[in-house]
Amino acid sequence: MNHLTQNTLAILNSKAPYSNTAGKDALDIALIFASFEQAPSLFFQGDGVYQLIANQDGSLISVKDYLKTFAAFEFYDIEDIYVCENSLIERKLTTDFHIEQIQVLSTQKFTQQLMSNNTILRF
Amino acid sequence: MATLHIVRQSAFISNDFSQCITTLGKDDTVAFIDDGCYNMQHNLMKSIDAKLNIQLHVLAKHAQARALIINEPEFGKINMKNLVELTFSHDRVITWQ
Repeated sequence: MNHLTQNTLAILNSKAPYSNTAGKDALDIALIFASFEQAPSLFFQGDGVYQLIANQDGSLISVKDYLKTFAAFEFYDIEDIYVCENSLIERKLTTDFHIEQIQVLSTQKFTQQLMSNNTILRF
Repeated sequence: MATLHIVRQSAFISNDFSQCITTLGKDDTVAFIDDGCYNMQHNLMKSIDAKLNIQLHVLAKHAQARALIINEPEFGKINMKNLVELTFSHDRVITWQ
């Protein structure tokens, strides 16, 4: 039971990218933790899955495109990235993401994986 | 390994509570505070699986302030002190806001 001795962090993203700062805030926290060698697991549920869709361009609506920074996850050793399959299906989205290494999980597996962490921050 | 789910939004305006329901596990606790108190009367309550043995709590003052009647014993009345105690008696906390 690794999680009893080691504190693990999950960041649960639930908002679409451009209308508020939730996604950007979540990214900042993830990178801060990762730069102290405590890489969190990232979870995307509900409208949060829109943050992962390929070919987005925030500059068209004058929003600084923080999504491009997702490409740095690998460099920061953030490797555990999970997406709720049901949230994709509800939104008629494909698995065409703008970063690699994303694991699409059923609702049940997604929940299990999320609850395997002892700290969960939701944005 | 139970989780405390603190629900702060009305399901009539956001889908936070419906996302919360999809992640409920056995013996978890749901605490409604702020506008989350409105969810006591939402149809989504019926979709909570009875087999999961979910404990439901409402911050009494938040419900009273909104003139909501707390249907005991379906919902347990709690105060801020109890809420803090719940955060200690569970393994983890998710705030749905």
